[in-house]
Amino acid sequence: MRLAFNEDQTTFSTFLEQMLASDVCGFRPAPEWERLEYGDAIDVQLAENGFFDAAAEETLGPVMAAEMIFKIAQLPVAVECAASALLRPNFASKLPRPIAVIEAEPHHPIRFLPMARSVIWLSQSKVRTAILKDGDVQKADTLFAYPMGVLNMAALTWDDVDTDAAKALDLWRIGVAAELAGALKGGLNSVLEHVKERHQFGRPLGSFQAVQHRLAQGVIEIDSARWLILKAAQSQDPADAALALAHTQNMATRIGYDLHQFMGAMGLTLEHPLHRWTYRARLLRSALGGASSAFGHYADARWGPA
Amino acid sequence: MDFTWSREDTEFRSRVRGVLSRELPTNWPTLARHGPGSRQQTEFCLEFCPKLAEAGLLVPHWPREWGGAERPVWEHFILGEEMWAAGEPRGAQYMNVNWIGPVLMQFGSDAQKQRYIPQMAAGKAIWCQGFSEPNAGSDLASLKTRADREGDEYVINGQKIWTSYAGMADQCFLLARVSGAGEGKSAIAIFIVPMTTPGIEVRSIPSLIGHGDIHEVFFTDVHIPVSARLGEVGQGWKIISAALANERVGIPRYQLATIILDEMVGLLKTRGQFGDPVIRLRAAQAAASCEAARILVYHVVDAKSRGQILGADANVARLAVIGADHAVSDFGMDFLADCYSGAGHVSFMSHHERAIVTGIAAGAAEIQLNIVAQRYLNLPREA
Repeated sequence: MRLAFNEDQTTFSTFLEQMLASDVCGFRPAPEWERLEYGDAIDVQLAENGFFDAAAEETLGPVMAAEMIFKIAQLPVAVECAASALLRPNFASKLPRPIAVIEAEPHHPIRFLPMARSVIWLSQSKVRTAILKDGDVQKADTLFAYPMGVLNMAALTWDDVDTDAAKALDLWRIGVAAELAGALKGGLNSVLEHVKERHQFGRPLGSFQAVQHRLAQGVIEIDSARWLILKAAQSQDPADAALALAHTQNMATRIGYDLHQFMGAMGLTLEHPLHRWTYRARLLRSALGGASSAFGHYADARWGPA
Repeated sequence: MDFTWSREDTEFRSRVRGVLSRELPTNWPTLARHGPGSRQQTEFCLEFCPKLAEAGLLVPHWPREWGGAERPVWEHFILGEEMWAAGEPRGAQYMNVNWIGPVLMQFGSDAQKQRYIPQMAAGKAIWCQGFSEPNAGSDLASLKTRADREGDEYVINGQKIWTSYAGMADQCFLLARVSGAGEGKSAIAIFIVPMTTPGIEVRSIPSLIGHGDIHEVFFTDVHIPVSARLGEVGQGWKIISAALANERVGIPRYQLATIILDEMVGLLKTRGQFGDPVIRLRAAQAAASCEAARILVYHVVDAKSRGQILGADANVARLAVIGADHAVSDFGMDFLADCYSGAGHVSFMSHHERAIVTGIAAGAAEIQLNIVAQRYLNLPREA
């Protein structure tokens, strides 16, 4: 048991943090008041510096990939990371990225499709991939703060991937959990800043216990989620993966509500980035069937059938 | 980063389990039902702890000078997990091992060390902590029990309440306010008071935890020598804060809660009820609470094992532990209510009586939330 990064992981983490502190990762209102901005610049920098390959590096490993997903999801800009950092190195290392993932119905809108160059289709029995060409994707209007698109299924050629489909789904549970936990953490950080600054009744909002206790509960859940995610990334055990996702999805609704309550009307405007995190969280909390389904998988993995 | 146990740690855990299965009598679950502060458990711990001491498993993390073996932090922690999972057969003595002994080593006079530490290391000492008062619970620093200096003595007057183990204790680790030493925390000093000293009256308060666990302790003109003071006047609050810093993750309650949850699931399967998706969901949620608590506690213990003392991370962990213990207890009462009456299930009842304390004993959950908000999230204090 050693819950600290090794030397290489520390270096990776420090370098990553420096990159993510850059201006290109910051919030600026999107043109036409769109609800999202894709972080093209940081995406390219991360790819050029090999960050998405961390999982395949012996001294970094999937733990670092999960940590990176968690950190990148804290940015106000959206960057496709979970599939590139956790799935791609495992069974599709040549796949061009960004990558969109079909985790349920292929005809539904899928996040990151508008900028994706390939798709991974996960199901219980197999894993397929397809390279995207111009015209394969139609951009979809959305409430969620992700670029969403719909696939023209008829135009695609699918390749079967020789990998364990169940394991791929477990990895994806970990990836989604890390992205969701990161989105909540990003939102929490912005609300913390706000409640320290904003005064009402002659004192900072954050000095009220009604606010303090709910934020404290929130950070306890997010921190524990992060640890459970990192543990699952290392063990890749089905129970650990389901638990990490279930625990994260289970808390997302309440935390999302609290964050908006404490940001008040400012959080309802597109001039403040809170929606970037909470509307990503709203989508991710229902991914792969949502918390109930993930808890069900955990119960199956831990206790077996009835 | 590595979430797996080392071979040494795994072997140590098996060794502890081996000793427990050898030394705990068959009627231990029934005995443990009486509650951690009961006469029955206390008498048992006075037989059991010397055996642990003999096996080198009572104070393995202590310095050799005081009977320990300077074993690593993780071993001490694994020991705590296994003892709690077994129903804490060390009874009140877990406090000696975890913090009273180490505090005496750090702050005690030579005479105090010689007098009390060997007894603790031998597994033969029962202490209680005289902290809370009728008007000083969460706001402990407002305590009013007085220590008046008269020549070579202090005269103690006041009242403590909700004191665990007081009925059977040999010594009280007492916090009192020294008259004439100023106001607030700076006037608080620690006294080691033998419970047989004239003027001490102990009254047991019937409680939900089990008989003999909560007491009132009255101090009326209790004369103790100045040499019974631990550290200097004005140092008391600092000592107690340092002592409790070791304790802030609290008891590894998720360990017993996890075992109880598995027992509950086993019983629900036998009854043909575990196919119910609502029950499966609730069981999984309770398990998730336990695993969340476990990993947050491990984070704090791991930092300590590397020589770091984390701040409010320990309070974060402690709050998660509270949630875990209640989640399992609530799950049992919601789906196995019949097990808490009649012949019932001794282990579920014992667990509930331990869980009901969680979030109140040793610092209310709401105070922990204040600490997390102010020291972990750096939110401003209330004006």
